[in-house]
Amino acid sequence: MSTMDLDTAVKLNIYQTLAEKAQAPSAAQVARALGVAVEEVEAAFQSLHRKRLLVPEPGDPSRIRMAPPFSGVETPFRVKVRDKIYSANCVWDALGVPAALHADGVVEAADGHTGEPMTLEVRGGKPVPQPCAIHFAVPAARWWDDIVYT
Amino acid sequence: MLLFRSEETVRQWCRANGVPRRPVLDLDQLWYLATTWYENRLTVESRRPGPDEMVEIFARIGLEGPFWDPKADRW
Repeated sequence: MSTMDLDTAVKLNIYQTLAEKAQAPSAAQVARALGVAVEEVEAAFQSLHRKRLLVPEPGDPSRIRMAPPFSGVETPFRVKVRDKIYSANCVWDALGVPAALHADGVVEAADGHTGEPMTLEVRGGKPVPQPCAIHFAVPAARWWDDIVYT
Repeated sequence: MLLFRSEETVRQWCRANGVPRRPVLDLDQLWYLATTWYENRLTVESRRPGPDEMVEIFARIGLEGPFWDPKADRW
């Protein structure tokens, strides 16, 4: 199996696991599923990170912090699709979850200043109109300087 | 990026945090970005758009200038 092939297999396993279980797999779980060594999977995590498709947990290369639009850890952006609750990395990714799953969904979030609960809904393949504003504080050239903050 | 109820709470947040007000998108613009970025994410071919593609995608929904250019060094 070439490096590129393994990257693709790891990527697909991660996203299929996230879609089905709403939880990110560890490197060991991906390795077991694909029948390869954990070290190879961790190397694939790094390769996918360079392609900006994955963010390993800082300080722990065996775990996934982000596989955008999904988060590997709980966040304030909870997205209900069908009977599952997913965590998203930000409001862009919160809408990205139903977009990736090709399904309707409900995003539970909060106003970034007041903390007032807010709900966004995707129904019939598009967002239900409602008043809101999405503020981008970081320019595009800096998004991946600190992607967890962005 | 953060979600707010209104432009007013964006202004309040910027003031409270000493952050300059930057671009504000509406829900339709954000949905366009979400679908463009992620609708193929579970497929073999999925990849993140490259820098020039990103500039084109942003321009389609009226987001132009150095703030939206991943290769810009000032904004």
